[in-house]
Order: sequence, then C-alpha cells, then structure tokens
Amino acid sequence: MPEMWSPYKNRLKRDLERWQSNGWVSGEGRTAILADVESSGREVGLAPALGILASVLFGFAAISFVAAHWEDMPRLGRLLLLLATIWAGYGTAGWLVARGYPLLADAAILFSAGMFGASIMLISQMYNIGGNPSDGVLMWWIGTLFAGVMLRSNPALALAMVLVCVWSFFETSEKNGVHWAFLIGWALVTAAFIWQCWRPGLHLSALALSMFVISLGYQLSGGYQHGLVAVIGALAAVAAVAMEKLQPDLDAKLDHIAAPLFAYALAVAFAGLFARQFLVVPPLGDLIALAVVALALILAAIAYALSTGNRGALWIGYIGFSAEILTLYGVTVGSILGTSLFFLVAAIIVSFLAYVALRLARQSAGTGRPA
Amino acid sequence: MIGKSKLVWPLLAVVAIVQSAALFDMVFARDRLLKSGQEIALAVKPLDPRDIFRGDYVTLGYDISTLTKSTTETDPDFTGFSVGGPVYVTLASGSDGKWTETHVSSQYPSKVAPGEAVIKGRVQSLWQDGNAAVTRVIARYGIENYFVPEGTGRALEDKVRSHEVKAIVAVAADGTTALKGLIVDGERHEDPPLL
Repeated sequence: MPEMWSPYKNRLKRDLERWQSNGWVSGEGRTAILADVESSGREVGLAPALGILASVLFGFAAISFVAAHWEDMPRLGRLLLLLATIWAGYGTAGWLVARGYPLLADAAILFSAGMFGASIMLISQMYNIGGNPSDGVLMWWIGTLFAGVMLRSNPALALAMVLVCVWSFFETSEKNGVHWAFLIGWALVTAAFIWQCWRPGLHLSALALSMFVISLGYQLSGGYQHGLVAVIGALAAVAAVAMEKLQPDLDAKLDHIAAPLFAYALAVAFAGLFARQFLVVPPLGDLIALAVVALALILAAIAYALSTGNRGALWIGYIGFSAEILTLYGVTVGSILGTSLFFLVAAIIVSFLAYVALRLARQSAGTGRPA
Repeated sequence: MIGKSKLVWPLLAVVAIVQSAALFDMVFARDRLLKSGQEIALAVKPLDPRDIFRGDYVTLGYDISTLTKSTTETDPDFTGFSVGGPVYVTLASGSDGKWTETHVSSQYPSKVAPGEAVIKGRVQSLWQDGNAAVTRVIARYGIENYFVPEGTGRALEDKVRSHEVKAIVAVAADGTTALKGLIVDGERHEDPPLL
C-alpha cells in the first residue's frame, strides 16, 4: 500500500524514530511494531475501493444498455435480461471468492444489489406504476438487507441503510406525519452491523438515527418540537458520559462505543437547540436565556471532549460554538443588544474557553497525561 | 463477504433466487391484475402544461384526481380523510360509456351496484374553505404516469391537452388499479400481458 494512504503509519514511523533516538524503543522493537501495523491492514486498500467504484460504473453501463435497447426487445426478454445481470453479479462474486478476493466479491454483490433496484424501477416503468416510489424502495432495501445478511457483505448492508433512509424520505414526503416504520428498518440493518462487528456501519447507523431524531423536531406538533430533540440529544449525551465514567468496563467491552455516542448525541442536542433558538424566533428574553444555556452546554461539551480526548465531539463542539456565535450575531445585530455589546459577550465567552483549555492543559501536564 | 467456504455458492444461489422470485412476483401480480381486473375507461383531463411532461412519461390527470364535496351534496361518507390515507371512489358507466363518480368514501363502500367499479386512491392533500362548506380531496391512484418510447411524449401530450385521450384502467376487486394503456383518437394502445 502506498505511504500516502496511511497518515497513521506515517506518524507512527516519525514517532518511532524519535522514540528510538531517545532510547525508549529498541531497533528490534521498532521493526516489530512497524511489521505489526503493516500486517494488521485495517485500512481500506486501493484495489477494493476501485472495485466498488467499478461495480457502480458496471451498474450504470448495464442500466444504460438495457434502457437503450428497451424498445427493440420483447418484454419477456427485458425481464430475463434484468435477471441475468443480477445472476451475473452473484456469479462473479462466487468466482472472486474462490480465487481469494473477498473484498472484490463484495463489489460484485453491491453491483447485483444495485441491479435488483434497477429491475424494480424498470418493471415499474413496464407496468406504468408511478404512484408510490416508496413501495419500490421498500422492496429494494429488504432485498439488499437479505443479500447483505446471507452473504455477510458490509457494502450491501451499508447500501441497505442508505435505502432505508431514502424510503423514509419518500414516505415522509407522501404523507404528513412521522414515518415511524423507519425505526424498524433502521433496527434491522443496525442489528446486522452489530452482528458483523462493523464499526463504520455503526457510524452510518448513528448518523441515520441522528438525522431521524433531528427531523422529529420539524415534524411533530407542526414543526415546533426542537426542544424535545435537544432533550433527547442531551439525555443520550448524559448516558454516554455516565457509561464512560461509571461503567468503564462495559464501555471497554463494547469497543469504546461511548465516545462516538457522545459526539452524535451532542450533534443532535445542538441541532435541536439551534432550531429552537433561530428557526422560530422566540422573544428576545427567551432567546438570550436559550443562548446562554446553549453556550454553556457547548463549553461543557468541549471541556469534556478535551478531557477524554474525544476528537469527534471536540470538532462538533467547535462547529456548534462558531455556528451559535455567528447566528446570534446575525439575529441580534440592530436589536437592543447592539453589536459592540455582542462582541463583548462573545469575547468574554472565548476568554473563558481559553482559560478552561489552559487549565486542562496544566492539569494533564501535571498528571503526565497528553492533552 | 463470507469467507472461502463450501457454503458460498449455495448462499449466493439462495440470494439470487429470492431476489428473482421477488421480481417475478411483482410482474406476476401486475400481469394478473391487467388480465383479470374489471376494465374501465377514464377520460384524461388536460393538466397544467408545466407539469405534464417529465422525462419519458406523460402525467395524466383525471376528473377523480380532485374530489369535491359542497354543501349542496349530501354524501354522508365523504369524511374521515387523512393525508396519505386511502380514498375509495365508486364509478358508474353512463349511457355514453363515460365513467363518473357516484360515491366517495374513506372506507371501502358497503354497497356496490352491479356494473359499478370501486377504485382505491391515496389522499395527497386536503383542502377546506373557511367554514368547511367545501372539502376538496386531491387523490392519486397510481395510474397517473404513462411511460412512452423516447421522443414520442410531446405528441401524446398535445393530444392529452386537446381531449382526445382516454385511459384504460384495470380494477381489482379490492380497488387496486393498473394503467393498461391509452385510447388515442379511438385507437387502443396497449402492451399485451407478459405471461
């Protein structure tokens, strides 16, 4: 694998050289560590990545071919052609596994799952079924989830999660009200991710669920439930903190799930608080009170993220802080608060943040822990 | 991906067979509806020209796409609609062969006269005037899109606008509908059933 594909390895190599020159690591130790990193191969290789891209291109080629020859072909022929592409993909997957390329086989499975969806769309077209695109997507995600579970294919499962979101999006736009059935699809695909022990998949699950919870604020009670979203996010964040602090053994057993959980919960809480403050503009007094709460929570979250080395949560905290300050500025300009007072308040908050950061850095220097 | 094992080929086969069967079922159900459903012909209404032509299909509007209840009418079942929920429209054929609505309800009607057809739609939006004297239901039945060979949509669209088109619709016993084809200038355009 080329060096540029692995920033972690590059950094480790530099650090190891320094550690070796300081006499902390022996030459043998350094070689052994690098060999171990080399063999663990947790990173995505170039070949499978290109394989996935190629399968997407093959999919488009197949669909264009079918569409171009659609009119010349008897309708039974169309159906058989669609089925043939699906079978060809699975056949290729089997052949690749037999030759020892399981990652490329995943790309072939992804191709077949894509062709399954294309077939649903083309059959709908053949029979002039236009009304409910969501029904077609429902059939697609179920078929893709089935393939992903049976063949233990992570890319197919990822596609299934994306399709659950698309399905829910269509359903929501077709009728008023929350599409609760999303949670069923989400839970099924998430269970498959857990069964596969696939961490990127769990991130996808967390992202999908976060978006769903945030969307609740825009749908429940006519779109005025952002406060509820903020509370859900805050409770989830508290749960993550409690798990990290009170049940560290459980957290370790679950592959340190609390840290990313905290980051997603923080994003949900802030999205709710942000919408509550600025989408439906409350009276100025309420806005100031909410803004103070929001800034205090963001600062607390940043401090916690710093103390636990949670980079994801730290970035969300910084982004949330900037968004909060900039939007507050936009809203309060010209109001009784006045621009200069606004900057004064912002400056005080930032100074406080710097003070907290300094203290934390001192603390960790004192205990010999890296900041 | 599942590792190198003897199970790979059987598992791949199971997935391919199940997905193929699902697609076949979709085709079969639709084909059966087209073949055995009660056939009605609905006049196609001109639509907002901006909306008619999207890609390679024409969008068809019908009289029953907008269902209106005014105070002068007393249809007791014209109530209880919700956006996304079902709407059942009973249609009867007049002496001129024109199908018109005789009854609208949010539930499957208890009484259907012989020769009438009940079709099921989905409420897209609801509209009421100030004192609820007029209720308007915008409904879709899944027969609004007709896919056409590339490049021929424009001519068809002109005909839709000048009232020369009727839609042939197959209706199942539960009200499910399928668009069979179009009658353009008295000429039937329809694909034969597949199976």
